[in-house]
Amino acid sequence: MNTNDTTPGAAKPPLNAVVFGGTSAIAQSILHAAARERSVRALLLGRNEQRLQSVKNDLTARGLNASFQCADPADAAIAWEPLLRAAMPGKIDLFLVAHGELPEQEPLLNDPAAMARTLQVNFISAAVIATACARMLEQQGGGSLAVIGSVAADRGRASNFVYGSSKAGLETLLEGMRHRLARNPAIHVTTIKPGLTDTPMTAGIPKGPLFSSAEKVGAISWKAIKNGKPVAYAPAWWWVILTIVRLLPRKIFYRTKM
Amino acid sequence: MRVDEFQSWGRVQAVRSPCADWSWLDQAAPLPAQDKRLAYGLGRSYGDSCLLSGGVMIRTRGLNKLIQFDRETGVLRAEAGVSLSEILEVAVPAGWFLPTSPGTRFITLAGAIANDIHGKNHHAAGAIGCHVRRFCVLRSDGTRWECGPAQNERLFAATIGGLGLTGVILWAEIQLARVPSAWLNVELIPFTGVNEFMALSADSSQKWEHTVAWFDAAAQGKNFARGIYIRGNFTAGSPAGQNPRKVHAPPRLGVPITMPNCTLNMWSVRAFNALYFHRVPRSGRKLIQHYEPFFYPLDALNGWSRIYGRRGFFQYQSVTPESAGAQPLVEMAREISASGEASFLAVLKTFGPRVSPGMLSFPKPGITLALDFPNRGRSTLALFNRLDAIVRAAGGRLYPAKDSRMSGEDFRRGYPGLNDFLPQVDRAFCSDFWKRVAPEF
Repeated sequence: MNTNDTTPGAAKPPLNAVVFGGTSAIAQSILHAAARERSVRALLLGRNEQRLQSVKNDLTARGLNASFQCADPADAAIAWEPLLRAAMPGKIDLFLVAHGELPEQEPLLNDPAAMARTLQVNFISAAVIATACARMLEQQGGGSLAVIGSVAADRGRASNFVYGSSKAGLETLLEGMRHRLARNPAIHVTTIKPGLTDTPMTAGIPKGPLFSSAEKVGAISWKAIKNGKPVAYAPAWWWVILTIVRLLPRKIFYRTKM
Repeated sequence: MRVDEFQSWGRVQAVRSPCADWSWLDQAAPLPAQDKRLAYGLGRSYGDSCLLSGGVMIRTRGLNKLIQFDRETGVLRAEAGVSLSEILEVAVPAGWFLPTSPGTRFITLAGAIANDIHGKNHHAAGAIGCHVRRFCVLRSDGTRWECGPAQNERLFAATIGGLGLTGVILWAEIQLARVPSAWLNVELIPFTGVNEFMALSADSSQKWEHTVAWFDAAAQGKNFARGIYIRGNFTAGSPAGQNPRKVHAPPRLGVPITMPNCTLNMWSVRAFNALYFHRVPRSGRKLIQHYEPFFYPLDALNGWSRIYGRRGFFQYQSVTPESAGAQPLVEMAREISASGEASFLAVLKTFGPRVSPGMLSFPKPGITLALDFPNRGRSTLALFNRLDAIVRAAGGRLYPAKDSRMSGEDFRRGYPGLNDFLPQVDRAFCSDFWKRVAPEF
């Protein structure tokens, strides 16, 4: 009916995307950014049915073709390949691994089970999923895998090293995977490294000038994914900050509070 | 509960309060009964109506999901914290626009309803309350009330313009307005004197959907009460090469730091106002403008209120009834011009007859004048007292969304709907504004 309808990129084939952690604010923003350029078919995976439904409704209202399935990304017993093949037949253009948790660190240090859970959610399960997705990319002969890491991975800091190390492990795995897949120019693995982002995950942290909106981080991430960029700090200036943090001599670093 | 600092747009006072962050509707759970509370969205209210000291601030900005958008009928349902900006992002490409819009798109949907906001099309469309189909209110006892014009009507009417005192709006459904494109035919016409403004208003109200006037409240002598009348209609004729349904871009410029208190003084404001006035030739100017600069010129400068410095600024917005005519405006303009208090942004607008269901709705048929003043302490407040006397004598009232100092007496006199409103108030909800104007309640 309308010549200038809601899907400006309708001419391009739709982007088929699978999102692990479908309620992640950054993942949603990445989908919003993608949908501004082309039509998007998204499958959301997560644990909370009510919240997945609300994200699905939101994406549908924005003109995306969204569906969801309750499957906890942290659940080591799930066989992801058959699940995805059944839920989204055909080529999957983008695997987005966005689940994670950011607990307060101090209690974790005295609660081995909680600490193990954080490592399980942020590193082990994400690594297993990323590996399964990479295998599917190889079978398809192309596509993108984008995984949300963190600037916290760049150096262990007193305030946040459990979360940081879980993301560091994940980022090392991704770098190795890029190395392994480098022969295939049609496959892209992108590590997205957000800094402080205003999302439900950081609701408990007072907001300062270093915070970016999820929409902004999502737009930067989508651009990186589209261009097959290996590592993207979001926003890019976090690279400068983290380079300084990384290069600080220990003598000085240990005197800082961060 | 975590304690955080909250400010309103005028930045005159900051409040440190414990806060609850709601990002999902399932988090909208009752708080401890003894706690007073108030929902807080994007903090664009100017004064203290969006602040509560000594109680819990419920941040609703995280409730930012659309629930349903029917592109055929223009009915949109969304969670409380969705911003007007986000609504425009989906509405404009589908050929829809907000039924009415204030001068910023960075307010939440629930905030728009709780203040019953109005816009440049008030003379034709009324306030936003005229376009609300339904919403859901969460009361402090945990009950949820779906309200509409024919369902829980009293709570519906109390919540529209109810300043968050009847509960928390969880989601709302509004009727959008069809537009032929995202572009407007705009005319800018210089005027001098309140009478010329009145004549332009009378001449424009039938044929122009959006009208407003910028007004130089600092000018004296022969330039007294000069301004620029702005009127626009959405048009099918977008400029060549432009997307007819172009969506606004994010702000590119920002005010990263709070400027010195003296940045806006009488001289800088006079200079700015003179430049602004002479930008438009005496014969006027016609142009095709995108909705963004037409409706939201200040949104292009992120955090512009920091220009007013650490002490912040006040806004003073009144409406005086039609029957009082131009006289109160002339008197107010005289007071301001003589006071030496610099008003940088002054806006005049004629309100129309369409009545909103809101019991405490601000607009009524007449003329509204909105003024910004840097906070210079006692002298600024003294000017407001003199303006109050003029508004009072004319049978007018002030806009709570902009206010941080009106007296309880003026509030009660200005809002006869208060008697119907009080029984609908949820007493667990409160704001610093409410403590001031209704301390006995």
